[in-house]
Amino acid sequence: MMDKEEIIKKTNEFLIDEFEVDEEDICPNANLKETLELDSLDYVDLVVSVESNFNVKLNADDFAEIETLQDFYDVIEKKLN
Amino acid sequence: MKEKVEKIKYALVTGGSRGIGSAICIQLAKDSNYKLLINYKGNKEAAQATLEKVIELGGSGELLQFDVANAEQVNSVLDSWHENHKDAVIEVVVNNAGITKDNLFMWMKTEDWKSVIDTSLNGFFNVTNNLIQKLLVNRYGRIINMVSVSGLKGTAGQTNYSAAKGAVIAATKALAQEVAKRKITVNAVAPGFIVSDMTNDLDEKELKKMIPINRFGKAEEVAHLVSFLASEKSSYITGEVININGGIYS
Repeated sequence: MMDKEEIIKKTNEFLIDEFEVDEEDICPNANLKETLELDSLDYVDLVVSVESNFNVKLNADDFAEIETLQDFYDVIEKKLN
Repeated sequence: MKEKVEKIKYALVTGGSRGIGSAICIQLAKDSNYKLLINYKGNKEAAQATLEKVIELGGSGELLQFDVANAEQVNSVLDSWHENHKDAVIEVVVNNAGITKDNLFMWMKTEDWKSVIDTSLNGFFNVTNNLIQKLLVNRYGRIINMVSVSGLKGTAGQTNYSAAKGAVIAATKALAQEVAKRKITVNAVAPGFIVSDMTNDLDEKELKKMIPINRFGKAEEVAHLVSFLASEKSSYITGEVININGGIYS
């Protein structure tokens, strides 16, 4: 089982590497869509990154629950465990 | 973004064993570097014969058996194919599989209505929906839907087929707008009377009188158009329905 800290660390790493997010912009209350400057199609890249990093597949319902980065970590944790 | 690893590129043609589908596979083998995925439902021999022609022309490919109308089967076959081909991407999707069950509407049975919708309309959904996320990640793709003059003007005796093809035309236009940003184009090709198993029983001598070009079309003529749409040359065409019918509909 992966603990929360590990999930957050790994997630932040791929957000910085693959989505070119500035490290200082990453905080739990930050809005995911705005921080990553996602348009509706970009979610597919997020699905792929989560899948390759955590081996879980997020769907449209999962994203409906996500507003902040904290929500994003929580959903990944829920899917993992 | 990570650097993109060059993947082996495939073109999937549903209903690729016979008729227009087979001609498309052969044309793509001539014109492109795509490896062919030749889908067939029941006629493995015909699919194999198409693959052999593809190989003769210096192309390559493989057969993929599934019924486009069966969502579960489509997903299981395509998912396991991707599992076994992690270095591959299906970049071109030709939704060609189709059936007809003609009858006057007043005699049409529910099952004949449903089976035509299941193959021609839901088949488009099942296959394309399975592949679309990978195409989006690929940031390039070509989706070509084989429709029909029936889907545009309607054909008496084909309310089911006309409805299915008309629906695919509308879906083509909508999906084209959704995915255009990622360099994925979605177009429909609407053949008129083409010499194939589907038109075998028609009276060509009688029908050709209403075709300005005065003959049925050849599958190869349709395949040339599909091959163009499958190429990079067609990059600014999307959401279009292209008629290929000898002038019967304009």
